[in-house]
Amino acid sequence: MTTHELERLLLQQPVSLLHRLARGRISRHFRSGKRKLIDLLLHASAENRPGLESDLIALIEEQTRRQPAAPAEKLPQAQARPRAVAFLPTAPRPHKTEDHGHHEPPVSLHEWLSGIGVPPAQPFVPDAWQVDALARLAETDVVVSVPTGSGKTYVAIEATARAMRENRTVIYTSPLKALSNTKFTEFSRLFGPDQVGILTGDRRENAQASLLIMTTEILRNLLYDAAGGEIDVRLDTLGLVIMDESQYLADPERGVVWEETLIFCPSQARLLLLSASIGNPQDIADWLTAIRPTPCSLIRHTKRSVPLRAGYLHPNEKLTPLFRTTGIPYGQPHLLHPESKRLFAEYEEETGPSRSR
Amino acid sequence: MPPSIHPVDLVATLRQKNLTPAIIFLTSRRACDEAMQAFERSQVVLPKARQEQIAGVLTQVTAQFPSIAEHPLIGTVQRIGVAAHHAGHLPSWKIAVEELMRTGSLDAVFATTTLAAGVDFPARTVVVTQSSIRKARDFTDLTASEIQQLAGRAGRRGKDLVGFAVITPSPYIDLTVLTKGLTGQPEAIHSQFVISYPMVLNLLKAHPREQIQSILAKSFAQFQLNQRTAVLETKLDGLRAEMEPFGPRVCSDWITQWQIFDQARKRKKPRGPAARQESPDVAARLNFLTPGRVIGLVRGRGIILRQYRSKGQHAPMVTLLREGGALNECPASIVTQVFDRTYECEETSTYPWTTPQTLEHLTHQLAELPPRLPILPILIHPEEDVPLDSSIIHTLGDFPCPSCPSRQACQRDFPRASRVRQEIQRHTKSIQALQTSLWHRFQERIDVLERFGYLNATAQLTTDGEWARLIRIDHSLLITELIRAEAFGAIDPPLLAAIMASIAHDDDRPGSFPRGSAGLVTLLFQVRKLAESLMPHEEPPMLRADVAALTERWVADQTLTWIGLARLTTMAEGDMFRLFARTIEFLSQLKTLKGTHPSLAESADRAIAAMRRGVLEELP
Ligand SMILES: Nc1ncnc2c1ncn2[C@@H]1O[C@H](COP(=O)(O)OP(=O)(O)OP(=O)(O)O)[C@@H](O)[C@H]1O
Ligand SMILES: [Mg+2]
Repeated sequence: MTTHELERLLLQQPVSLLHRLARGRISRHFRSGKRKLIDLLLHASAENRPGLESDLIALIEEQTRRQPAAPAEKLPQAQARPRAVAFLPTAPRPHKTEDHGHHEPPVSLHEWLSGIGVPPAQPFVPDAWQVDALARLAETDVVVSVPTGSGKTYVAIEATARAMRENRTVIYTSPLKALSNTKFTEFSRLFGPDQVGILTGDRRENAQASLLIMTTEILRNLLYDAAGGEIDVRLDTLGLVIMDESQYLADPERGVVWEETLIFCPSQARLLLLSASIGNPQDIADWLTAIRPTPCSLIRHTKRSVPLRAGYLHPNEKLTPLFRTTGIPYGQPHLLHPESKRLFAEYEEETGPSRSR
Repeated sequence: MPPSIHPVDLVATLRQKNLTPAIIFLTSRRACDEAMQAFERSQVVLPKARQEQIAGVLTQVTAQFPSIAEHPLIGTVQRIGVAAHHAGHLPSWKIAVEELMRTGSLDAVFATTTLAAGVDFPARTVVVTQSSIRKARDFTDLTASEIQQLAGRAGRRGKDLVGFAVITPSPYIDLTVLTKGLTGQPEAIHSQFVISYPMVLNLLKAHPREQIQSILAKSFAQFQLNQRTAVLETKLDGLRAEMEPFGPRVCSDWITQWQIFDQARKRKKPRGPAARQESPDVAARLNFLTPGRVIGLVRGRGIILRQYRSKGQHAPMVTLLREGGALNECPASIVTQVFDRTYECEETSTYPWTTPQTLEHLTHQLAELPPRLPILPILIHPEEDVPLDSSIIHTLGDFPCPSCPSRQACQRDFPRASRVRQEIQRHTKSIQALQTSLWHRFQERIDVLERFGYLNATAQLTTDGEWARLIRIDHSLLITELIRAEAFGAIDPPLLAAIMASIAHDDDRPGSFPRGSAGLVTLLFQVRKLAESLMPHEEPPMLRADVAALTERWVADQTLTWIGLARLTTMAEGDMFRLFARTIEFLSQLKTLKGTHPSLAESADRAIAAMRRGVLEELP
């Protein structure tokens, strides 16, 4: 949608929704009035409009679900909704049965269990955010923060292939040796065994290869050695550093290693940070923009690629939906299904009240 | 009703509802193993075709990782189509289970919540049985991020149209933690930047001391500290604006002047014997119990309308507007919390001490307050009761204040002015601390390294510093000090590996182990003494003699097989593997000291070669 359309859509939203949208995008957004907030939102997401748009649509949809019987007088808002969805082809509308509000009767078990199955095989078409991330990476560093299982590996592989075509070295880091091993196998199959090397604590296999897989600690040590004058691998041709699972930045013991690595990462190399959903990915992008010569873009979305439903299974083997809605009612933990509520109360009753640890 | 569903029934229910394959998260490794035993005892048997599928996948993985063939559960998994996956297993076995899951050969896997992020291990359904996990010694509620990471494994892209997260209760489960986590936003992440000795040495190797502060300023830690600074600065702006009407009057520093005058005046005025007997915390709060202030009580909340002292006892009292509109006169000690929220409150000299309009307005405000209000942190000054220098009291007559034309205004304004001024000072100090804290911590580390002789007085690396910077692991100070104390003289590979294992191992799971050699016992004793002497500068490692002995055995006796070693201990295979992998990592750091400590590096190299056999050779 155009900036003008987006702005109009934002203007039609209640300010509470704007604040939710601003979370993680604008620091101290709660201090701003509505108009200011919209300006800030537009400004802060200049780099990643699709992310803002898809989150906005998701919030609007959620709101619609919450108040499906919104009285017709409140039309300005209600009108905007269906249109808003049409704006964004990349955000597929959830399965039809996922639409339920608490005014409607709670979902039945039968309905909740419907739709299980295997999707028909489809040719691989990259998601809009994947395309976007790769396009951005041509110009800037990129932080990707998307839910588990979204397809971050595809971005890593395409970016690697591109850098290799340009005769650049690529370093791929993961927090765990086990993960490094898996990726080593996977990438060797993809790019050919002679193209891929792995460095661990005391082993170096194919250390001159153009794609090197290592744990973040090893990269940190390499960077210290390079700074101390003992260059070891081909850091001068380094074109891309991919850090998978970079939410480890917050690990109490090891997070510091991610910080050291990012601070000392050579400025000629592009950075691609892949992370699960976190609350403040914009902070990471802003930080990297502040300390590196190239700006850093944020690719973020919160929508899962496969919709998730939640259930409650009683010890007597009775299964019920956990919430009144088929899908998970984001932002509304209290919308429990009456049956799960009743069964859990029964459970608490029977297993005794002194359940403090 | 049983406290939780039986694992066999759980999987049967999931199968029947077409919700398999599933990952079932259990609270402990033991719970996972017990679930497997329950299946072994059960009558569950897979159809032939599925058993063959599993066997096929396992044969493939075994070609790459031969140790899998020896796994005791291999037959069970094949027969029942269910497996366990936790940190007690060897990596190769975990890879096998992951592969079985990826190929859709299993119905369910029992796993602990430590199942690492990024490991490709998806399922149609995820079952959650707990709302808290053990971290360090304590149980902590799962965070929204953690819950979403667990639940996020449900629903495989390309294989499922929809995924399911199913909660089944067990004792100690808190359903609200889970529902909030499922529906909520993941938490913001915070920097965990710490300054270690190797970091200091390596930074000073490459940059002069003057540049360090600007390097530290590039950390995410400083970025987040700056965000906090920005919040404080906005507050500071507000406070400065609030301070504007309190600029210079007849005397420029009238606030301090009045403070002293007022204190002197109060001291001089004789009070009842019980005066100022209130506890320091009540006394500290009194300054804030001003008209219009929202406060918390044991039950409910209220707004202060007036503060005064009781006639006889001279005890501090307040007049309170309670929820519902009641007015109470109570001792100030009834206040349990002072909230960071005040309203305009026009004062009058008679009951109800404010105008009827204000009263109505405040009653309304009180009813509308959000359930949570920020609490005002109040510093308690125990020394506040130190009597004023008696000379001040004697010279009270010399104060210009009593005859000053501004006296009325100053008397009225100074409580608020001095409070605002205090807050400005407090914020300014905090901002300073936020801006310099990393550099201070860095300097503390420099001081220690200088005292030990790794840095010289101008913070440049000494000869020892030059090699010590290559040791970039936990407990680096202990390791470099051991090397300097020549504890490793002409040390044998088994002994060196054993000591490194005891330094590297940081798990306190109990177990039974073989005994170490006499040489190991003596050396460990010395290491422990040194570690304790370093305590003020570095947390000592656990230095467990039992894991050291296990490692010594493995390196010394080359005929010992992995299975044979496992029989010597109750340690889980996965833990043994991790112990040795970490030990090898530590040893390979010693290997980098070839240039300065050739015999130590040589011994480390031989120890690594000796350790890498059997399952330890399977993975790069
Ligand atoms: N555009 C796409 N269309 C269909 N399937 C896709 C697409 N992109 C990725 N996938 C598939 O999605 C699955 C999950 O991808 P991937 O492992 O990259 O996720 P991830 O984001 O790295 O998750 P995790 O947080 O668990 O590491 C893979 O099977 C992959 O083939
Ligand atoms: Mg991944």
